[in-house]
Amino acid sequence: MSSYLSIPITAHLQMEITNLLNMEAYYLDNGKYKEWLDLLSDDLTYRMPLRETLEGVGANNVSKDASFFEETKKSLTTRVNRLYTKSAWVENPATRQRHFISNIMVESTKNPEEFKVRSYFLFKRSRGSTHDIEEMFGERNDIVRKESNQWKIASRTILPDQSVITTMNMSMFL
Amino acid sequence: MIKKTLDEKAFQLLKEKMEQGLFPQWVLTDPDIYELEIDKIFGHTWQFLAHETELKDSGSYVTRWMVNDPVLLVKNRKGEIKGYLNSCTHRGTQLCTADHGNKKNFTCPYHGWSYNLDGELIGIVAGNKVYGEEMDKSEWGLREIPQVASYQGMIFGCLDPVAMPLEEYLGDMKWYFDILLGRSDGGMEVRGLPQRWVAKANWKATAENFAADPYHVQTTHRSTVELGISPEDPLYAGYGHQIVTENGHGINVITSKTGKARVPYQGTPESMWPMFKKNLTPEQDEILSGVTVFVGGVYPNLSFVSPIHGTEGHLHNYLNFRMWRPIGPEKVEVWCWFLIDKAAPEEYKEAAYRGYLGSFGPTGTLEQDDTETWARIVEVSKGLMMRDKELNYNNVSNYLMGFDRVEPDESFPGPGIAYPTTYLDAISRSMHENWFKLISKDLFVKEAVK
Repeated sequence: MSSYLSIPITAHLQMEITNLLNMEAYYLDNGKYKEWLDLLSDDLTYRMPLRETLEGVGANNVSKDASFFEETKKSLTTRVNRLYTKSAWVENPATRQRHFISNIMVESTKNPEEFKVRSYFLFKRSRGSTHDIEEMFGERNDIVRKESNQWKIASRTILPDQSVITTMNMSMFL
Repeated sequence: MIKKTLDEKAFQLLKEKMEQGLFPQWVLTDPDIYELEIDKIFGHTWQFLAHETELKDSGSYVTRWMVNDPVLLVKNRKGEIKGYLNSCTHRGTQLCTADHGNKKNFTCPYHGWSYNLDGELIGIVAGNKVYGEEMDKSEWGLREIPQVASYQGMIFGCLDPVAMPLEEYLGDMKWYFDILLGRSDGGMEVRGLPQRWVAKANWKATAENFAADPYHVQTTHRSTVELGISPEDPLYAGYGHQIVTENGHGINVITSKTGKARVPYQGTPESMWPMFKKNLTPEQDEILSGVTVFVGGVYPNLSFVSPIHGTEGHLHNYLNFRMWRPIGPEKVEVWCWFLIDKAAPEEYKEAAYRGYLGSFGPTGTLEQDDTETWARIVEVSKGLMMRDKELNYNNVSNYLMGFDRVEPDESFPGPGIAYPTTYLDAISRSMHENWFKLISKDLFVKEAVK
């Protein structure tokens, strides 16, 4: 077990971190991508490995070598800038999307400024006037950090629960 | 099977339209045509299954699909790659549901029948006690995929035991595969499992989008121009050659306005260039040294792209193969593989992988916009004005670009019919001709007798 002195997760701390994740979802669901970028630390790692179907009880089914995202703040900034062009057709006309974030669990780390945060996501999307409702769900493992009195996401690993993605593309951030 | 619109007259009219460079839009998503395609195209042509580096050791396996046929692909003790129908011979249960792994034998969870890596039935629960002595296990081995073969590490399967051999089917495309896959010592390697997702699209449209259509690049991917990554010149993806090879295959060798890429050998490390030269013929080397993007396809449903990505001082190249698995007239399960030269430096491989994720696959910024146009085609293809029973007031798609105007360039160093621009419908028309030949084969026996 850890030898460091763990910081108690108070209701106030839980609320601050919950607010961070809810604010993030609000920005993403309302096309405020530049505001979203401001919630990410400059040394961010943002990953989304594939899920694999493997035989065996308790097998680790998170892919070690294949991903959907392996991003830095710089590469995410390029992706975001593209969404502000006139010809990123996947979001022009814009899709309507919601991130439902739940099951938020906060744990302390060795660094008193950083916390491990696990959350579940359910993402839903509607596009044009089609009747299809697209969805994706899974878990996120984050490190959040307080920088100059502002909460930032310093690291995120997104684990989708599907091995075959059923949204027609992945233009969304999760 | 042939009913409603699909009679002999409809086929005759379809042929006439196609000869004029016109392709009726209803054909794209028609359910009866789709059933014909599955049977007559996918039942008789070679389909991509895996790359040899996905099956490293004896006992390595991957599970794949040839449209609706489940495939278990294994490496046996002799190092041979064997393909089996992934279905227990007892009651037909899917034998192995994992994506990949390594095993000595496969046991069905239903009644416990076990098979070894050679597909032989080696164990039956309660064996002779329930079946008696006359049960001959050798008659109940896994059914083999009729043909499995590989070229430059690419493993294909074919459901038709009498179809032409793989190398004959690939034809002149082999020469281009030798560049894409054989340029480096040790060849190419696949990274991880392929990404998979379900796109709203018809397989013909996705295959054509990749194999045959650099003309879409300047508009579909205009966001990259707006960001200053791609040139303003609307012809930028049109410089180079479009090459039509046999059996509906084709490749675009895109260069630039000068006839050469901005950087030699697709921005690969200079230390690799002598190795490329050594492994290629002078003609192949001439093409590789000056190409910006290779993009093409092997009919019916395998496409590939080998681009240059990155900013100045940080360029990289990779090879992306994708298989379009039809799962209905309006749905495709896309399987997307990342390949890189085994001999490349590790940090280069990593940078190239990140470049790939930023461009292609479901999260790739280029491919995201492709998915939008694929969906917009299938969403409007079922209407009455598209679907005309007489084929005379129907909505037709225009495949006239370069029709009878662009002549082949005899000086091109590679095989196939090479046209001196990639803004051309020559590969598309060849894919359609091949499509028509396959779906109408043996359909109207009467006509053949006449």
